[in-house]
Amino acid sequence: MIQRYRASAGIMLAPAVTLIGIFILVPMMLTVWLSFQDWSTQTPFASASFIGLDNFREIFGPTSIGRDFKAALANTAIYTALSVVLILPLSVAFGLMVYQHDVPGGTALRTALFSTYMVPMIAVALVWSKLYAPGEGPLNQMLGIIGIGPQPFLSSPRSALISIVFLNVWQQVGYFTVLAIAGLTQIPGSLYEAAKLDGANRFEQFRFITLPLMRRTLLFSAVIAIINAVQVFEPVALITQGGPVGSTSVLTYHIRRVGIERAQGGLGSAMAVMLMLSLIVVVCALFALANRKDQE
Amino acid sequence: MSFAWTSKLALAASLAILPVTSWAQAVNISYLTHWSPETVALLEAAAKDYAKTNPDVSVTVRAVPFGDLLTTLRSQGGGSDGPTIGGIYDLWLPELARDKLVAPAPDAVASEVKASWPAGVASAASVGGKLYGIPNEIDVYALNYNKALFKQAGIAAAPKTWDEFKDAAKKLTNKDAGQQGFGMINSWAAGVVHPFASLLVSNGGELVRDGKPALDSKQAGETFELYEELIKSGASVPAMATADANTTGPFLDNFVSGKTGMIIMANWWESALRTGMGDKFADIATAPIPVGPSGDKPHSISYSWMTVVNANAGEAEQKAAWDFLAWLNNPKSGKNGASAMSDILMSMGILPSRTSDIEAHKDKLGSDFLSGYVSVLADAKPFPVVPGGQEFSESLQQTLEALQYGQVSAKDVQATAQADATSILERAAK
Repeated sequence: MIQRYRASAGIMLAPAVTLIGIFILVPMMLTVWLSFQDWSTQTPFASASFIGLDNFREIFGPTSIGRDFKAALANTAIYTALSVVLILPLSVAFGLMVYQHDVPGGTALRTALFSTYMVPMIAVALVWSKLYAPGEGPLNQMLGIIGIGPQPFLSSPRSALISIVFLNVWQQVGYFTVLAIAGLTQIPGSLYEAAKLDGANRFEQFRFITLPLMRRTLLFSAVIAIINAVQVFEPVALITQGGPVGSTSVLTYHIRRVGIERAQGGLGSAMAVMLMLSLIVVVCALFALANRKDQE
Repeated sequence: MSFAWTSKLALAASLAILPVTSWAQAVNISYLTHWSPETVALLEAAAKDYAKTNPDVSVTVRAVPFGDLLTTLRSQGGGSDGPTIGGIYDLWLPELARDKLVAPAPDAVASEVKASWPAGVASAASVGGKLYGIPNEIDVYALNYNKALFKQAGIAAAPKTWDEFKDAAKKLTNKDAGQQGFGMINSWAAGVVHPFASLLVSNGGELVRDGKPALDSKQAGETFELYEELIKSGASVPAMATADANTTGPFLDNFVSGKTGMIIMANWWESALRTGMGDKFADIATAPIPVGPSGDKPHSISYSWMTVVNANAGEAEQKAAWDFLAWLNNPKSGKNGASAMSDILMSMGILPSRTSDIEAHKDKLGSDFLSGYVSVLADAKPFPVVPGGQEFSESLQQTLEALQYGQVSAKDVQATAQADATSILERAAK
């Protein structure tokens, strides 16, 4: 009986497992395998030759390959951290604002917030590149009205990456606000009524009811925000080309340059593997932290 | 058999044969370029002219931004469905040929190119003695300066030496008016490296000598120091010189709006300058690159572009592509003995490289703007075309930008640039 049950379960799972295997696991394993090879992306896989850990030594080494990779890794980490740190609190704040049923215009605000997420990144990048334009750019003109001199935004290595982060936050915050609202709807109203009876003020209600009960939603939002941020590509490719001085060179853009433009498939794969490992470590650490909190 | 039956059978046979014969003869080829929509329209018009005598060949033109051109060629050129023809920068050829992405030219085309183009240009389109592309444009760098700003600053003539150049840059700088003396481009590899290389060769130096980097020379050291001095004195403001993926952006904006006194740029920018400046384009003049303390006379960097054919395209497509390119570059396809390709190039202010095209466009090449470029062509040194050249350019770009933004000293930059270039060129040569 159990055997028959296992066989039927296996048959039913087979299509999904096969598809996942072909379209997810095989490319991942192939990338890992290529990271140990010397291989040009323009040649067949058969031409790849095994070189052990040389690609990894190279990307962490002192040459320009190593320096550029480490800089791109650091830029990606900064971009991701800043994006998450800005998006999550803002999404909760906006979520709390638009979740109030009795606030007039709540639906319009919700629609406006979410609409930024529907705009294609290419349009966002083009518009923001003009907003940030030095001299005649609208942002600099507005700053000029309040007596602040023109800012270089995308033209300075100090501010270029942060300027790209703001662009990302502007586009993504609406989507995460929707997630925050979904989390807020899961909190029973009776908890707030009981807290009110106990004399809790608004801040205490937020601190001891809203925030703890939104932990799962926030964990999910953080994971999605990290994955989205790590994959940033379009604004860099369209606006800054990784510059100035490599200050906006993020890993996806750099891997494309190495793996496709220079056809260094082995090196590009080693970089992609490091990106994947970094992402796995960060996401696992987040889940571990959340589990520890749950156990407490 | 009645006439009606005979007619029906003949019609049926014709209908059955028609699709097969027309499918067998019709060839679709695609042409990948980074040109602007206006220039693409001229190329499409030329393709229509070609179709008048070759109705079975249809040419589709596809344009991508310059920043995406190499990636597109590499990612799509590996298959038969990729672009049949691609316009490429000569620096990319050694690696595209090594990876068998581009096809060697047929003997007839190769002989024509060797006979009708200057030897140096034809050699830049060859790898290991085999010709891979039909050269079309040649670009050379010169000093562009704004005569109106020169007049305001009391400068009588274009600088001839580095001392005069530094002096002019200082006089043209006006921080209160947001004006810089010399625009030093960033965020675009060729845009950063070519002006530097032009100043270097005008100081008697070279980027690469006998296949090995020569950035550790005294001449290179002086060129790095010149950059450092211009930045430290405030005559060059890096934040005013950023470029975007389309090679436009603040660098171009600041020059066309009169906020930059001088730049070192190639001739192909004429159309961008004309569009951006309108009537004020008349204020722009061209002069040879100023000579450095270790140089003998003005030199600059030149590079060429060519059209190549996808080695993975079908036999019929490759044949049609070479035939179209041979027609496009033939003196009979354009006006007054010029090739159609050269007419397209001249619309952008780009110098054609075919000897007969230079003769045919003699009048236009004598314009105020272009004559300055034509005059420096004879003493221009070709940008080194070596395996790993693109990576070398990008690496040098990074170190130069670090110098521009004051992150490192000229001395450190020189040591880093030489070490990086050595490692890149050695690895690529393996």
